[in-house]
Amino acid sequence: MTLAPPRPDVGRARTTGPDSEPLAEPNASAPRPPAPPPEHYQRYHIDTRHMPDRADLPTRFRVEVNRFELAKLLFKEIREYWGDWDVVLSRPCVYGVFSGPVGGFAPRPHLCVGCLRCTIQHPEAVTIRRNPQWQAWGDEYLKPAMVETLQQEAALGAVPVKGQGYRGRMGGPGWDGIWTDMSEIVRPTRDGIHGRETISTVVDLGAKPMYLRFDAAGMPAGETPAVSQVQLPMVLDMPPVHAMTPTIAAIWAATAHDLQTLALLPLRVMREEGLSGSQLVPVVGPGLGDPAGLAELARAPRMVEITDAALADEVRAAAPAAQVALRLPFAPGWRDALLGAIAQGLRVIHLTADYHGRGDGAFIRDLVIEAHTLLVEQGLRDQVTLIGGGGVVMAEHVPKAIICGLDAVSLDTPLLLALQFQPDGSMESRETARFVAPPGLEGDTDWGVQRLKNLCCAWRDQLLEILGAMGIREVRRLRGELGRAMFQEDLQREAFGGIDGFGD
Amino acid sequence: MASATEIKAASPTLVAKVTHYLHDGYRDRSAGVIEEPPALGDARWTDQLILSGWYMAEHGHSPEFREHRTGASGGGFDRLRFKFERDALFAADAAGAEAESARAAVDMSLVLNRRDTARKLTIKVPWYGGGMSFGSVSENVMVSRARAAKAWGTLTCTGEGGYPAGLNPYADHVITQVATGLFGVREETIQAAPIVEFKYAQGAKPGLGGHLLGDKSTTSVAQIRESVPWVSLFSPFPFHSVYSVEDHKKHIDWARTINPDALISVKVSTPTDVDMVAVGSYYAGAHIIHLDGSYGGTGAAPEIAKKNIAMPIEYAIPRVHKHLEKEGIRDQVTLIASGGIRTAFDVAKSIALGADGCVLGTSELVAMGCTRCSNCERGRGCPFGLTTTDPELQEWVQPDWGAMRLGNMYAAFDRQLREICRRCDLPSIAALRGRTDLLRFVAEGE
Ligand code: SF4
Ligand code: SF4
Repeated sequence: MTLAPPRPDVGRARTTGPDSEPLAEPNASAPRPPAPPPEHYQRYHIDTRHMPDRADLPTRFRVEVNRFELAKLLFKEIREYWGDWDVVLSRPCVYGVFSGPVGGFAPRPHLCVGCLRCTIQHPEAVTIRRNPQWQAWGDEYLKPAMVETLQQEAALGAVPVKGQGYRGRMGGPGWDGIWTDMSEIVRPTRDGIHGRETISTVVDLGAKPMYLRFDAAGMPAGETPAVSQVQLPMVLDMPPVHAMTPTIAAIWAATAHDLQTLALLPLRVMREEGLSGSQLVPVVGPGLGDPAGLAELARAPRMVEITDAALADEVRAAAPAAQVALRLPFAPGWRDALLGAIAQGLRVIHLTADYHGRGDGAFIRDLVIEAHTLLVEQGLRDQVTLIGGGGVVMAEHVPKAIICGLDAVSLDTPLLLALQFQPDGSMESRETARFVAPPGLEGDTDWGVQRLKNLCCAWRDQLLEILGAMGIREVRRLRGELGRAMFQEDLQREAFGGIDGFGD
Repeated sequence: MASATEIKAASPTLVAKVTHYLHDGYRDRSAGVIEEPPALGDARWTDQLILSGWYMAEHGHSPEFREHRTGASGGGFDRLRFKFERDALFAADAAGAEAESARAAVDMSLVLNRRDTARKLTIKVPWYGGGMSFGSVSENVMVSRARAAKAWGTLTCTGEGGYPAGLNPYADHVITQVATGLFGVREETIQAAPIVEFKYAQGAKPGLGGHLLGDKSTTSVAQIRESVPWVSLFSPFPFHSVYSVEDHKKHIDWARTINPDALISVKVSTPTDVDMVAVGSYYAGAHIIHLDGSYGGTGAAPEIAKKNIAMPIEYAIPRVHKHLEKEGIRDQVTLIASGGIRTAFDVAKSIALGADGCVLGTSELVAMGCTRCSNCERGRGCPFGLTTTDPELQEWVQPDWGAMRLGNMYAAFDRQLREICRRCDLPSIAALRGRTDLLRFVAEGE
């Protein structure tokens, strides 16, 4: 899936537009890449390429052929349609399941799309069943259909499109209980078919003071803006402990670079693997790395994440140019910790739930709304960047999480699933989740990078669908727009509130 | 890229063989003569609902041995029951001459024009067929639908793909749709139309335009759409000429200049302000407000749009109905619901929630053999001959057979709706409108 090709006139008109800028460095003392000349303007674009599966995954359907009945059928048809060879040789399957060298006697279930024509037509000879191995994919949160969607997105980089209407449950808990708004007559721009081509997905991460102060000499005084722009409202969170390998670290780093976003890695791993760069966010804390190690990175990071607010000063001393972000789990006491961190001068907060989106007795959706609302009420929201993660596993969860109040989301398990890691048991937390790696992944960084780029492109394109439908021109304006979301509990109460039995 | 020369039409013998097998399959599977296909169905359209659809299309009445009223989606229509529904299954065929004559006495008609402008138009049943374009479905399917509409005194709709010649004999029963791509829109087809439907948005892909993949844009499809064969066709979103309700009125004025007698229907999706959209459309001159909820649709659409954008129809109907009442204009406009109406019970619940009638789409395809496999856009299109323009595959649905199946399904719907009115002691389906007091909300699984 590609976006519109770059247009020279756009480059001349908007040489410093958000899409055209390279990654901004957090302050002037850090090296700044040269700004591209106007004629080199490129609309933000993710290169996608078909990247086939590496693991031999279960097929969705089982094709069971009764060979005796099939032989009888063939015999009958040969006799009945002798001479009409197109009729004799016609197959019920238009997807090639029975088009191998020996036809239906050796069906090819990997091609089966479950249309059921063969079994409607020849019930005595063919039965199509859902494959229990396919149904066992994922865990109780990441359902098999989600895993399949992630794998397809990672393989193709395209928006999943299917015929006929929606097939799933109506609404549900968590993200499924939100519908996004749309507009009948508004579109984001006059460009392109749907006006989507110029929607910006750039977000700013960092400190955004509400106003500037100047000293007597007219120079800025006090807090100045210190933001990093990323091209996607998605950053790559630290891989699970039991999936962390040198190859995975390299894939994270290269993907973040190509996507012009950020990847979080334990500082310890970055040092061991010799990784550094403006797209990498070293995470510092017990078991992850010591702040003093920041000085040993070949290139200074523009952001460092800490797991304890008490580490902030040490990190500022070791990496003075870096923005300091606090990783704050949604655990009891998080509200006070959030306000305390902001009072302490921290301006990027990374809120985390577990891999099933749980934290402090609630689902991440409601926790994010609460965090966002708390900061709005305190008059702090526009000064702070909220990144959030845990339970964000489908493309639609990204805009929904942003509507609930995040500036950007951090991705965790979907990245592993895109790389065809098979969960080994329930994936509940970074520390405990276990996986079986796909064969031959170690050392093949290119495959992994392309799979993750494909996934992020598919997710970005789906984000554009949502933004385009709403008539919103940049993702920054989606943040906290709760009025553009419809919550099932509200809709249901309004629609069914007076009906007997409702609320019993 | 496909080309016309690569695809061969089916020989009559092949058509006879395949249709014979398929028709037997639909009949025997739905009657329970052979095992239900284990991989059939989903939460919205359960295997029981699909098999019931096939059964009704075969027999003209509902199967009493299957759950043919609701699905298992866990919300919306599937959590609503009529208070009289106590039995596990609903016997539409309550025995006795008295019940029969009570059913026969129910007025099932639906008034489509409640304003002083344009022709008076009343259809005999409280539903009509939704837009499915030539290209997204075959001409055989379109003609099947038009024949059934004519036989039942109702309507079908062109969708956004022009007006194949096969529809001409049924022109009084064919709504001409004007959508954002204006594909196939001509003065003659607007002049011939009893209703002109402006499609601002569609529930299956709210906020997105239509999309016909190149493989389905055959020579004949392209000719009607006045486009280039085998090239994908995107409809823009939204109308590039409409930025306000005033622009929308200009649209309506334009259609009414060409055909002053035609009713104007405005098809919209279900955003947060759907109630305001409905009021705006009314004041712009619409006779019909057609709400298309987010869970229906027969064409291909991004999965993210189907599931997540705009509200389900069950929630939109009461919001709009009550708002129109508050504005004092409820009885001057016809409110039609679509997008997830699967069964006669969904029709009745929609009306009880405040709609005047419904538009059917997927249920019609199910009657003609759809398994809801979602492969409509894949390869050559639907392997059952529905959503395809492949010269071979489209032969699996012949208009005589298709119209017969739809007519039978309509008969079953008609009978069930009459029985619902009888049980609720209502003289007409119109009297059911807004009667939420006849419904109860049930726990999931009840
Ligand atoms: S179910 Fe459809 S795709 Fe699968 S083998 Fe049968 S005909 Fe082919
Ligand atoms: S392809 Fe499948 S879902 Fe689409 S119309 Fe045909 S049977 Fe129905």
